[in-house]
Amino acid sequence: MTRALAVIACSIGVLLSSTAVRAQSQDVTYQQLLHADGTPQDWLMYGGDYKSQRFSRLTQINRKNVHMLRPAWMYQPNQPVQPVESSAVIVGGVMYVTEPLGTVVALDTRYGTKIWSWTPRLPEKLYTIGVHRSNRGVAVFDNTVYVGTLDAHLVALDATTGAVKWNNHIAENGEGYSITGAPRVLDGKLITGISGGDVGIHAFIDAYDLKTGKRLWRLNTIPAPGEPGSETWGNDMIGTGGAGTWGTGSYDAELNTLYWTTGNPAPDYNGSNRQGDNLYTDCVLAIDPDTGKMKWYFQFTPHDTHDWDAIQVPLLFDATIDGKPRKLLAQANRNGFYYVLDRVTGQFLVGVPFVKETWAKGIDAKGRPIVLPNTEPTPQGSLVYPDGHGGTNLNSPSYSPQTNFFYVAAREMGAYTVAGRPKVNFPDFGGGGRIDLSGDEAFGAIRALEATTGTMKWEYRMLAPAEVSTLATAGGLVFAGSDEGNFFALDAETGKLLWEFTVGGTAAETNLVTYEVDGKQYLFGGAGTCYVAFDLP
Amino acid sequence: MPDSYLTISDKDAANVVAYIRTLKVSTGAATTTGDPAKGEALYNSSGCSTCHMVAGQGGSLGPELTRIGMMRGAPYLKNALEHPGTDLPKVADVPFGGRWTQYLMFRAVEKDGRVVEGIRVGEDSFTIVLKDASGKFHGLWKPDLQSLEKEPGKSFMPSYKDTLSDAQMDDVVAYLASLKGAQ
Repeated sequence: MTRALAVIACSIGVLLSSTAVRAQSQDVTYQQLLHADGTPQDWLMYGGDYKSQRFSRLTQINRKNVHMLRPAWMYQPNQPVQPVESSAVIVGGVMYVTEPLGTVVALDTRYGTKIWSWTPRLPEKLYTIGVHRSNRGVAVFDNTVYVGTLDAHLVALDATTGAVKWNNHIAENGEGYSITGAPRVLDGKLITGISGGDVGIHAFIDAYDLKTGKRLWRLNTIPAPGEPGSETWGNDMIGTGGAGTWGTGSYDAELNTLYWTTGNPAPDYNGSNRQGDNLYTDCVLAIDPDTGKMKWYFQFTPHDTHDWDAIQVPLLFDATIDGKPRKLLAQANRNGFYYVLDRVTGQFLVGVPFVKETWAKGIDAKGRPIVLPNTEPTPQGSLVYPDGHGGTNLNSPSYSPQTNFFYVAAREMGAYTVAGRPKVNFPDFGGGGRIDLSGDEAFGAIRALEATTGTMKWEYRMLAPAEVSTLATAGGLVFAGSDEGNFFALDAETGKLLWEFTVGGTAAETNLVTYEVDGKQYLFGGAGTCYVAFDLP
Repeated sequence: MPDSYLTISDKDAANVVAYIRTLKVSTGAATTTGDPAKGEALYNSSGCSTCHMVAGQGGSLGPELTRIGMMRGAPYLKNALEHPGTDLPKVADVPFGGRWTQYLMFRAVEKDGRVVEGIRVGEDSFTIVLKDASGKFHGLWKPDLQSLEKEPGKSFMPSYKDTLSDAQMDDVVAYLASLKGAQ
């Protein structure tokens, strides 16, 4: 069959089969979301499942045949103005993915054919200070696609047509608020965070009614005067201190607890105006999703002056420690330490470096870093590892229950951190900056950490300190990307290189996902301004 | 200037300043006392044009020098003539965390023991392209190499510290400092 005929056949196939499929499976149910591992042919949400483990049970692509993986199709956004950063959601043969500056597209998963697209109407004057002009993904539930926009709207789209069901303006972009992260659907609720923490927004985590878009609760991440935590600030910055919530949280249905992480305090590199620990910046918050009340919190970097947002996805897993089964939460933090917490109580269990770090002697028994002297930013610059983009960044790690390894993209890079004059009048907001060491003095690596201890079991070196995701599969593989636009597969047990393909462009920044359609497994991700799906011959 | 630059943060501004500093634009850093005309004659007689290009004439192994006087000051130029390879230029490139070293030399040993030595002209996590002294490109698959080592401080360019007198050195520096492209 020629390519042209194949495309025509594909288009007809899309109309016929996806109509049938949509009636059955575009209506994603809460039970499906709860048991996402039961439908490994789909990729139902950001993180793959509520635990954000990014582990696929698909095995068609495996150690033995991954070397034959080849590009199946590519998709190029209409406006390639920024690198793509979206994590795709896949339901019943249809993929929902976003492209800069926030367009949502529905693609046929076999051929990449566009089914519909929706583009937000953004204001001419768009504030995205300290925020990538991009979007990291959608949530899908009950034939509806949910997405946030750069001008801080939360929008519900019909999953079959792209028609707007509701559009809620949740905050003022003119005051620095944006949404870049993927929202999270729980039972009857849509949860979203907010971006803009570097310009002193009053950040929050919100819950909205899925059907109407009505706000159900708001949890502010900077306490108001008199509220618990307000004593950890000076008098000047309460209400404008950052703590953006620009990642996507995880959820434990048994504990009915939502775990959402927060960003750095502001101004970032100068803490003179915000003496104290600056709660709830750089935290993971355990939240009752029915009320929005905080159950507990854990702060990774009190009084952060190095821009070490803690927005890395909190990964949930269960394991036995000292003979006792524990419900755990792991995070490789931007500050260079790998943490394991008890996710029932928030108790600190493990905190060990997973990259070179020079700012703390270690983590004490309560989880507080033992900060070394002379590591604060200075006007002349203070050399500290890791740099401001951290030991790892927003791109998601993964966990394999087969190996019990936590796979993370590690960044080995230092920077001179420079304290500048604190500026707190929007949009003139900031407190210094950093001068990264030369790229030839830095490198990146995919590292396998023993999940319960953080002990490194293997690493695969990369040229640059990459901001990329990992994806673990039951095929015994870990997929990842590089900052130079390479995609590759490693043996999950040993880290041996098994496959590589160069797309080029800039970073392979999207979260890689995998799915199966018509009995064929695909790998999907983006690099530069292009998305690529791979399959076997 | 794009509108978005009006809202650049302190952090981004500091990063821009840091990058500009790496360019070492220092044309006024020191005055040159040499004679540019004599320097041009020395440049032509010393074989410099074998590897360097000025106004479309010359080789391409080393940096193009047509506008070098706009980009580098006399101290930098003198150091490059005396100690080539010790202060190589950095260039902005996203895969290298913002800056990477140009003209950095590498020594690669292939599986069969063959050695390739050259200037890095391209690299990613899995491949590297070296340009050898003859200008030939060698594309190499890193996982197949026995070893791959940087050679900091090394250069194909010879030092002129002992072959030029102080006065001749000043003349060549003056000539290079006078190269400012089309006026």
